[in-house]
Amino acid sequence: MKISFDKFQKLWQGQDDFRVRKIVCGITLNAVCLDTMCDGVKVSDFVLQPLAYITEAKNIDEIEQKLAASTGVRRPPNFFAAIEDFTNGYTLVFDEKDNCIAVDTRTAVGRSVAEPPTSMVMRGPREGFVEDIKVNITLLRKRLKTPNFKIINLAVGKYTNTAVSVCYIEGIADKRIVDDIVQRLESVKTDGVLDSSYLARYLDVNKTFLFRRVGSTEKPDIAVGKMLEGRIAVISDGSPMVLTLPYLFVEDMQSPGDYYENSTMTTLSRSLRFVSVIASVLLPALYVCLQVYNYQIIPLRFLITVLNASEAIPFSPLTEMILVLIVFDILREANLRMPSAVGISLSLVGAIVLGDAAVQAGLLGAPAVMIGALSGIGLFTMPDNTLILSLLRLAVTFVGGVMGLLGVIVSTLTIIVYLASMQDYKTPFLAPFAPDIPEDRQDAVAQIPVPNMKKRPKSIPNENDNRRG
Amino acid sequence: MDKNRVSVDQLALLYLLIVMGGKFLTLPSLLAGDVGHDSWLAVTFGFVWDGICLCFLLWAIKLNNASRLDISSILDKSLSKPVSKLLLAIFFVIFVLRTNILLSSCYKMFSVTFDVSTNWIVYVLPVAALAFFATVKGFNAVARTGQLLFALILIAVVALFISPLREAEFGALLPVGEAGWGKILLTSYTRSFWFSDYIFIYFVLDGIKIKKRVFAPMLISFGVGALLSILLNAVFVSLFGYLAPQFDMAMSKIGVFSAASTTNGRWDWLTLSIWLVSVFIKVVIFIFCAYKCIEKFVGKRFVKFNWIAASVVLLTLSLPMFVSTDALLDTVVKWGVIPFTLVQYVLPLLMPLLTKVAQRKTEVSGE
Repeated sequence: MKISFDKFQKLWQGQDDFRVRKIVCGITLNAVCLDTMCDGVKVSDFVLQPLAYITEAKNIDEIEQKLAASTGVRRPPNFFAAIEDFTNGYTLVFDEKDNCIAVDTRTAVGRSVAEPPTSMVMRGPREGFVEDIKVNITLLRKRLKTPNFKIINLAVGKYTNTAVSVCYIEGIADKRIVDDIVQRLESVKTDGVLDSSYLARYLDVNKTFLFRRVGSTEKPDIAVGKMLEGRIAVISDGSPMVLTLPYLFVEDMQSPGDYYENSTMTTLSRSLRFVSVIASVLLPALYVCLQVYNYQIIPLRFLITVLNASEAIPFSPLTEMILVLIVFDILREANLRMPSAVGISLSLVGAIVLGDAAVQAGLLGAPAVMIGALSGIGLFTMPDNTLILSLLRLAVTFVGGVMGLLGVIVSTLTIIVYLASMQDYKTPFLAPFAPDIPEDRQDAVAQIPVPNMKKRPKSIPNENDNRRG
Repeated sequence: MDKNRVSVDQLALLYLLIVMGGKFLTLPSLLAGDVGHDSWLAVTFGFVWDGICLCFLLWAIKLNNASRLDISSILDKSLSKPVSKLLLAIFFVIFVLRTNILLSSCYKMFSVTFDVSTNWIVYVLPVAALAFFATVKGFNAVARTGQLLFALILIAVVALFISPLREAEFGALLPVGEAGWGKILLTSYTRSFWFSDYIFIYFVLDGIKIKKRVFAPMLISFGVGALLSILLNAVFVSLFGYLAPQFDMAMSKIGVFSAASTTNGRWDWLTLSIWLVSVFIKVVIFIFCAYKCIEKFVGKRFVKFNWIAASVVLLTLSLPMFVSTDALLDTVVKWGVIPFTLVQYVLPLLMPLLTKVAQRKTEVSGE
């Protein structure tokens, strides 16, 4: 395939980091690279020095053979592939007949592998993904020393040409789902992909946008664990978040450290997370509707305490609770955007000063603040869905405050019907509970010891469900 | 994925929820009014009939597994289109009436037990919105919801039963058959409107996924549901004796025995609320079926949500605003019992035969 050097040069002319070097070694060659994307030493060692020693080359094929010092030498199939290689840090060598060779001279600038701040563990590996796709694949490859570990490379984004890799284990992952994901990624029409979360939106089959439908992890051990269950990992260059598909609701309740702890402890902590998530969404609504409509349900002494605390409050219980929840959400949002040092002060100001002052001033009742805070803390046990759960909590509280228990029942049922209806990549979102898949309950909320997990989850389509063969 | 597909296990759990969801409201007091302490016998006879009909229907489901014909295709091909439309119209009336009666019982429960009185429309609209949302999402989503909440609802029902069971004077049920067997059987027939909960299965016939067993899970569900309903009636009459007909909200009255004292709060109300979820699941399913009746009556598959059909169903749900529930029930007993018996108790017995005929006609026509 001919790739016009003149056209190429015209395209990049005027760019400060665009370098051209003319070399005569029997035939005339033009070596071009982007100074900012290439490693100068690699350009010198793998391209310029070998070319300088060649005196009588007859054609480009001979040149390609002489550039054997570099591990990555290839012939771009077309003009666009040449541009993609060039912008990724390859050095292109053109002959007079517009033949082109791409030599890997990419620079290795980037963060070194470290423990990811979003998934810290007490026990277990501390390596985390970084922004460099090559390093990330290395981290996976280190753990999957098998030829069955397959990678499909793509480039997504009109201007960013972001390298995206679809990784899976052949013989475990369902090939139809792999093809489906690749097809979806190939059909992405966008200016740029700056992070894997951009791709997550395209991989959400039903475009629900309410709940997260694509898993993400910063830890290679977790990504490999999921791939061993039949999931597919999608890595995007420039992002330390690796996407995993298909995704289940229960995954958000599973912590990276779960597999390195005793299974009984894991079961207990997962149950606690499960209960706290349900309580987080329903507790404010129940508190309001019981206080307004069905106070008889509340034990007498507790009721007296609540009534004493809220006697002088100028707002209705519903308004009071909505205010508490909104203030909590504002604090959470502000806390997320603050540098960590300021964030701690902000938490203190929010939790102690603001809360205490509001109670002292008689604007909010202490039980409402306590319920709001308890519910807010519980939401963080599902870190991926905190925001949406917070919104649902507001909605259920409002409906419960207006309609009482009927409102709470109807709104909760609506949420469950909605969740139960979701299904992506042949995987029901609420599996293994709805539909009930008894075999998969071994690692949902309860966890059996890892040696006893003989089968892969049935909820995730796979080609081989036996973990031991 | 067909969003109306459902497995036999899911169907069995839903069936049990539906049985538990409707029979613990006003039915026990109505039966106690008719036959006194023999009401549990009337319930038993009702379930005997239900059991026989269910077996025939399950047989039809098994026969239909290969061809996956829907109810209107079966009726059209085996009985002719006019008869099919007539039966669909009867189905529609049953679903709408049963939904109305369930909703008005819940309405009464909320206003009397929970002390929350609202306007009928304000009460019905959110429930209807939930039902239509579920219709859009498909029967499969409802079945999964049932699976998810099943254990919780069952625990709530058992929790409500435990204390009253200890308090009940079962000697009050003696002598057995005092009201007269003929009267008990007749009551069982006249109140049959409350039974035959399996009728919703007609409208998911084409979506039932059979892997292994059909009879076992369904009959176990039926057995547990029937047992709980008979037990509730027996406990209810044992607890309240001659006053039973006066207490029209059986479950909430029974729940009173679960509450120890106000110092501990009315936790029975909380369990009652959880049980109410099964009533709303039943309402959702019946509204889904009423909507499907219109779809099949019109003979056109609604690819998108049909607002006209939904409006028709919604309009019928405003009936209790104009006619009292008691009057509705009296009308049903007087005029509706015969046509309703046709689809509740005669049609299931004929279903295997009708399915066979429809299958044969489909094969002949090469569809």
